[in-house]
Amino acid sequence: MLSVTGLVAGYRDGGRVLEGVELTVSEGECVALMGRNGMGKTTLLRAVMGHLRPDAGRVRFAGRDITGWAPYAISNSGIAYVPQGREIFQDFTVEENLLLGLIGKKARGTLIPGSVFGYFPVLTERRRQAAGTLSGGEQQQLAVARAIVSHPRLLLLDEPAEGIQPSIVHSLGATLREIAREEKMSVLLVEQNLDLVLAMSTRCLFMENGRIVDGTDTAVLRTDAVLLDRYLAI
Amino acid sequence: MQQVLITALDATNFMSALLLVTLGLVIIFGLMNVINMAHGELFLLGAYMVVAVDRAGGSFWLALFAAPVALAGIGLLMEELVVRHVYHRFIDTILATWGLSIVIKQAVIILFGPTAQQVSNPLPHAFPIAGAAYPAYRLFIMAVALLVAGATFLLFYRTNLGLAARAVIANRPMASSLGINTRRMDRFTFAFGAGLAGLAGAVMAPLMSVDPQMGVGFLIPAFLSILVGGSGTLLGALLGTTLIAGASTVVSSIWTQIIAQVVVFSVAIVVIRLFPQGLTGSRK
Amino acid sequence: MSSPRIGVATTIGVWVVLAAAPALLNEWRMSQLAQLVSYGIFAMSLSFVWGQTGLLCFGQAIFFGIGAYVMAMLTKGMLHGWPSGTGFGLLAASLVPGAVALAAGPLMFRGRGLSGAYFAIVTLAAAVIVERAASHWDWIGGFNGLLDVPPLRIAFGGRQVDLLDTVPVYYTLLAAAALVYAVLLSLERSPRGTVLRAIRDNETRTSYFGVDVARYKTLSFAVSGCVAGFSGALFATQFGFVSPALIGVPLSTEVLIWTALGGREVLLAAFLGALLVRSVESVLSGALGNYWLLALGALFVLTVVLFPAGLFGRVLALPLPKRMRQG
Repeated sequence: MLSVTGLVAGYRDGGRVLEGVELTVSEGECVALMGRNGMGKTTLLRAVMGHLRPDAGRVRFAGRDITGWAPYAISNSGIAYVPQGREIFQDFTVEENLLLGLIGKKARGTLIPGSVFGYFPVLTERRRQAAGTLSGGEQQQLAVARAIVSHPRLLLLDEPAEGIQPSIVHSLGATLREIAREEKMSVLLVEQNLDLVLAMSTRCLFMENGRIVDGTDTAVLRTDAVLLDRYLAI
Repeated sequence: MQQVLITALDATNFMSALLLVTLGLVIIFGLMNVINMAHGELFLLGAYMVVAVDRAGGSFWLALFAAPVALAGIGLLMEELVVRHVYHRFIDTILATWGLSIVIKQAVIILFGPTAQQVSNPLPHAFPIAGAAYPAYRLFIMAVALLVAGATFLLFYRTNLGLAARAVIANRPMASSLGINTRRMDRFTFAFGAGLAGLAGAVMAPLMSVDPQMGVGFLIPAFLSILVGGSGTLLGALLGTTLIAGASTVVSSIWTQIIAQVVVFSVAIVVIRLFPQGLTGSRK
Repeated sequence: MSSPRIGVATTIGVWVVLAAAPALLNEWRMSQLAQLVSYGIFAMSLSFVWGQTGLLCFGQAIFFGIGAYVMAMLTKGMLHGWPSGTGFGLLAASLVPGAVALAAGPLMFRGRGLSGAYFAIVTLAAAVIVERAASHWDWIGGFNGLLDVPPLRIAFGGRQVDLLDTVPVYYTLLAAAALVYAVLLSLERSPRGTVLRAIRDNETRTSYFGVDVARYKTLSFAVSGCVAGFSGALFATQFGFVSPALIGVPLSTEVLIWTALGGREVLLAAFLGALLVRSVESVLSGALGNYWLLALGALFVLTVVLFPAGLFGRVLALPLPKRMRQG
């Protein structure tokens, strides 16, 4: 479904960050990407989403080469992105935020599917409230809802558990698993929170210095802490 | 008392035309982060369009409809050919659009000559207001400006397109991630802003002497309005325009135009100094 | 990217050619060139404040014009009680615009000061207004300005000599240009210059280092104002007149074009930009009339889009100061 090969990318004044990334996400898979801060995880997601033009390498999605496409084109091809910090539109209402997840998509119309409210009932109550008045956990739900409202095939999530209390993380993980199953959606998850990784993902990759250096089935991580120590400990 | 009313009407008149110019400028700046130094020349082109149609024997009303459309097309061309290549270099957009303003002004001078042109007033009637005869055309300008400004507000705050535009203004990368075609938005925005400026120019043409220098005379007050009112919202533009237009008209009715310009400029600088975010507190 | 050594060679080469110009050009061309030198100095003033500090000033001619007017009024004896000699005139013409910039600086840069774009707009508005005000101020000549401004008067061999012949005038101006160049270049290459460029590239980050950004901007603005005023004074002595045309938007726009075309970040490139555009203009504007300005505007747009470093910027760029080179 998603195939990244030899991706090299960086920032004009920050130097190279990605040094030849190789990864694949198959249909229906949820892949977690772990690693210490500054290893390039967020940069990778941004590059896949088109916010960063790669210096070398290819990104392929659903059989098409999307390298160098603009973010809106990539979004329209079926990839949705929930960045770090969520970036919801604070001054717009919940409903408007959700609507914005649909507006750009040509074939989707502008009717918010009821299923979205089914996954996140709290949004129904807060429908007409300004998004900025929601709590952290609710904003995260809104960000995810906004991303899935157009039925994407692949969801890119950057640290959804950041700043959220553990109980909500747990239910978020369960909801995301349910959505992935119902919508037949693949997920690429960047996350430091082990609970969420264990709850959601089937496979786990480790990133270091701009490269994917290791990988394993998530099940292994439940019992074996060696990899976690190597790639996550400071 | 009558004088006060007349001055108030004149102020509203100036404000109406200035508002159309300012709205276009603020929308372009808000959405694209582009300071369009050629905006005054777009206003100028609108006025000259009326001159051209007038010379060709066409009706003013035809020109009034044609000008915004033509200017939207010119705006599109400008955006496609020049602006989109520099808009990631913020300061260079100022220079590039300034260069375009020179090109446009010179083109006008070549085509129409450097001297002022007059366009006949299409509504030479006058309405009696508080005992004086107030020109009907000035009232017409206010009506047009109000209508168009109102339509712009509706477009921005009541339609999905407007919602998408506001999303791009609020957070461009995120809007793009959601699938909103920012490229198309840029084109539409520039064309729309240019159309507004063109309409303002066309509608003001019968009232002013149309000469190649009139662009700067509207560009500066428009910029000052944005700085004073706050560049982040349409409401800021409205507030700033009201203040600048009002102050200009009032002061120039008491003293001379020059003194009005100096005074308004100085006061604007002080206000901007005290309220760097504009009076509505919204700066990009 | 050309090697920095090329920059040193070309820079020296340019100055050599300029010094040898009287041997290379005929009388008429020389008098043309002499007139252009003041414009070149003017362009250097903009290059300093814009190319080095990142302050895009749309009203640089305000300082040029103030310098020109001050020089004119002093040397014509219009200001009773003040000396009317060349030396004092040049001094005053340099200091008054600098003082204006010094006074305006805090207003624009202190606190959450004007950002680059807003600064451009404010200086543009100021230029419009100053030009209009000057046109209506009868004491300084109103729309027509002041005529019969005396030429440069130098003490030579115990006497006061009016500089009227082309070659002496040229060399005097060239010497002035060289002096200004030396001063500005040494400022640019000093640690203070590095701070200015840091402010230009990332103001916020620079302020985190404890740099008083507003003060540096004001001082840079003032230095540039002094140089612009100086060039305006020189201009006035050569052309013999001053008028509102020297203080407003058209000239401010022109110097912007020269500097952008030549190369905003390299002093000598900006200098040459002025010389080049003006000399081409005197050749073409007669033949092309209004099309010249149209072509210039189009060329300007093209330069901004395609050659942001200007036509000469790369080729005249000097190597970094020794203290900043690695290894």
